[in-house]
Amino acid sequence: MEALTGWWDNFFWGSVVVAEVFVVAMILTVLFGLTGAAAKLSRNRLAQAIANGYTIVFRGTPEILVLLLFYFGSAIILTAIAQIFDPEIKYVDIPPFWAGSIAIALIVGSYATETFRGAFLGVEPGQIEAARALGLSNFKTFIYVRIPAMWRLALPPFGNHMLSLIKDTALISIIGLEETLFVAEQAIATTGKPFTMFIVVGAIYLGFSTIITLSVVVLEKYANQHLEIAR
Amino acid sequence: MIFDFALIADSIPKMLTGFWMTFELWFLSAVLGMALAIILLLMRISGRWYLFSPAMIYIYIFRGTPILVQIFIIYHGMPQLEFVRESMFWPILREPFGCAILALTLNTGAYVSEILRGGVLGVDRGLKEAGAALGLSATHRFIYITTPIAIRLALPAYSNDIISLMKSTALASTITLLDMMGIARTIVAETYAPYEIFISLMIIYLIMTWITQRTFGWLEKRMSRHVRSEA
Amino acid sequence: MTVTDQENIILMEDVNKFFDSFQALKNICLSVKKSEKVVVCGPSGSGKSTLIRCINRLEKHNSGKIVVNGHELTSDVKDIDVVRSEVGMVFQNFNLFPHMTIIKNLMLAPRLVRKSSKSEAYDTAMRYLERVKIPEQADKYPSQLSGGQQQRVAIARALCMNPLVMLFDEPTSALDPEMISEVLDVMTDLARDGITMIIVTHEMGFASLVADKVVFMDNGEIVESNPPEEFFSNPKNERTKLFLSQILSHYE
Repeated sequence: MEALTGWWDNFFWGSVVVAEVFVVAMILTVLFGLTGAAAKLSRNRLAQAIANGYTIVFRGTPEILVLLLFYFGSAIILTAIAQIFDPEIKYVDIPPFWAGSIAIALIVGSYATETFRGAFLGVEPGQIEAARALGLSNFKTFIYVRIPAMWRLALPPFGNHMLSLIKDTALISIIGLEETLFVAEQAIATTGKPFTMFIVVGAIYLGFSTIITLSVVVLEKYANQHLEIAR
Repeated sequence: MIFDFALIADSIPKMLTGFWMTFELWFLSAVLGMALAIILLLMRISGRWYLFSPAMIYIYIFRGTPILVQIFIIYHGMPQLEFVRESMFWPILREPFGCAILALTLNTGAYVSEILRGGVLGVDRGLKEAGAALGLSATHRFIYITTPIAIRLALPAYSNDIISLMKSTALASTITLLDMMGIARTIVAETYAPYEIFISLMIIYLIMTWITQRTFGWLEKRMSRHVRSEA
Repeated sequence: MTVTDQENIILMEDVNKFFDSFQALKNICLSVKKSEKVVVCGPSGSGKSTLIRCINRLEKHNSGKIVVNGHELTSDVKDIDVVRSEVGMVFQNFNLFPHMTIIKNLMLAPRLVRKSSKSEAYDTAMRYLERVKIPEQADKYPSQLSGGQQQRVAIARALCMNPLVMLFDEPTSALDPEMISEVLDVMTDLARDGITMIIVTHEMGFASLVADKVVFMDNGEIVESNPPEEFFSNPKNERTKLFLSQILSHYE
């Protein structure tokens, strides 16, 4: 345990990085998921095809591969684009933070696409009909009737997606992000205690998972309070 | 930016030499993981606190931490502990292959046990009551009524987990194993052509995913042939 | 297992049952003689289902005494499977095992509980399938049968255990109207055989033909209990009268 003195600070800042990645990725996941769901539900054949391709590719490929492909691949594309503007440029890349966040958001977003699509379809048509019959516009129906109903259905599986997301952040260490695993590796180099250090990382992630799970429980209670009252 | 097709043609066979390793990791972990999952499930539904508490804690830890961290703890971390080095399992735990199998098994076991539990909980209460009313003991009810139905219910979620497991095998490349991912990374390190290599590898994984999904889809159809879908 | 020389095959004394703070059964006293046919009726939520489910301990009563065929129902688990093998139950939702064929549904309990051989169980099963008039469905799956057929199978399944008492929990309530009579016919036929039957139902025509005793429940209590002639033509209690007027006007 004494090996850990002096490292708590570093682990703390590593955790902050994890949290930052998580927040960014979560927002992007929702974005990708909603867009994908909308594309799949639309009548546009091309949009559907692209969305289907998206889900197939990102659900069937190992996360680490997606990460590496995206990180290196984006560097290549960006370098190529940059060289169009300025041939002097040798190399452009995305910082691991952004490459990683976007990559894992793309992955979890592909699962979220299915979740949102299912939630959307799960809204009782009768509710929509009632809203329209009352004179609510398409847009108002969407905001006040559809989204609250969807949200309730999507919440539990979305909670699971968020758990996947936080765990996927560990992979970003492979492309050099200075988060908790990175700190652990430094600590190991100095103290020679890999077990201790990796257990700390595990505990940090367990802490994050717990926070997410509890948040979902609270949100579910809030979303379903109208059902509770009826009891 | 040109696609180096010659490189692709050259690399694919090389990566496929890693297929056997990938498959071994996948298959062994799946089988051992299922055994572990069944044990955990029985502990979890036993009703006895000294059985379901350890099971719940185990599942909580292994589902709440990233698999990469679990792999590192076992491979890099275990050697730190004396009792591990001196135990009879040391020859296995010293090798990256043994560590990978152990980590993957422990991880998938936790997930699959929850999937099985979901299946068990999904069995209609009325069917269990009918069994009880006929005088069937709790054990008989579990074997002849609950289990067959639970398996059918759990199949979709299980097929997803099997695919996740396949994707997780790629992480074995981080502890020097030469599965398909490991070989790919070495080729990339030598040729600086991440795009071509990784995309080809991605296609290989996608094919594997597709085959798995079709197999499970067929299995699901077969098991449901005598069940009328709920109207 | 033979019935003891007690007159009553089922005896319930001062039975109370709570679901959390809600009292479902209040001081229930009921005795059923061997071969008696008892119909239990009453509005929704009156506790009728709870009452019969206590008899085979699908629900546990909180106080009072329940004796079934000489066994008192307590928290002693060992005896309960024995009691249940002597008491057959037919559920509102049939509860046939979807993953087994009809014949396998019927053979399961005799083989596992009575340790019958495969051929014995098969013969018994086919016999009862013929009794309920659908022997040709033996190799089909429940999902392939109509509701009325499934319920008849459920009755046969319970009979394969040769029970001394048959409990029916609203056996026709989940059936489309045209299938109700095929099930009631089977039950009427069964009644002629001498088996003790306790039936929760809304089918008053059936009750007046088959019942030896009609029990009216309301709000967890037994309000009135009389032979059908008395019960229908001369109800004593106000609540009974109200219920009968509501339910019988429905038939006019």
